[in-house]
Amino acid sequence: MTFLSFSFILASLLSFVWAQVVLKRAMEATRKSGLRNLRFILRVAGGIALMTISFFLTLGLLQRFDLSYLYPFQGLSVIIISLMAAVMLKEKLTLQLTVGALLISTGIVLVSLS
Amino acid sequence: MQDRPSGFGNPWLQLAVSVVCVLVSELLLKRGATDIADLSSAWSWTGINGLESPLVWLGIAFVIASFLSWLYVLKYIPLTIAFPLSRVVDILVPVSCWIFLGEFISIWRWCGIALVVIGLALVAKPVARIEERL
Repeated sequence: MTFLSFSFILASLLSFVWAQVVLKRAMEATRKSGLRNLRFILRVAGGIALMTISFFLTLGLLQRFDLSYLYPFQGLSVIIISLMAAVMLKEKLTLQLTVGALLISTGIVLVSLS
Repeated sequence: MQDRPSGFGNPWLQLAVSVVCVLVSELLLKRGATDIADLSSAWSWTGINGLESPLVWLGIAFVIASFLSWLYVLKYIPLTIAFPLSRVVDILVPVSCWIFLGEFISIWRWCGIALVVIGLALVAKPVARIEERL
């Protein structure tokens, strides 16, 4: 794997993770301020834009690599999203949740490698 | 999670709805794509010819439904719990392919499925405790 392809895999993964964090923030805010406000619309639009970027980066990668090669990286999204939610959204990440997320990530990698 | 609605608005039910919609969409897209596969056409690489299949359109409807229920889930459930639980779809897809599409699952793949199940149980356990207290 070249440095360039690694950067693209990382970019598609990070844009997906970032989209989830942005969408989570948008939806949480609706509990107080409802759906009809500009901030919510901008955040959801930002989340959808990030998911679209991730989608097309993945589509480009799929043209160059096998799905079985790319899918294990998707598995890593579970552990990365848990860490990002703890850092950026200040969610409580217990040891049990961390071990659970790690096992799910490892399991997905194993399912897609075999 | 204190002010969460009940009934069809229950976020845990919506998480299940979102997962089922993803699962159904994957199976429909696979069936639809195989039905109209024309590997000799250059356009087939873009996947756009997939839109000829009604099953693919139905699959797209399920993708949209899963996204809407996922947005609703995000309103109430922490991402550290909701996202790992949503990955149950990573074992439901291969198991459904095994049951409905007759695809083969290797020993290593079964081991991976087992790890995901244990991980899901670990993530779901604190949830069960939170629900008991409410």
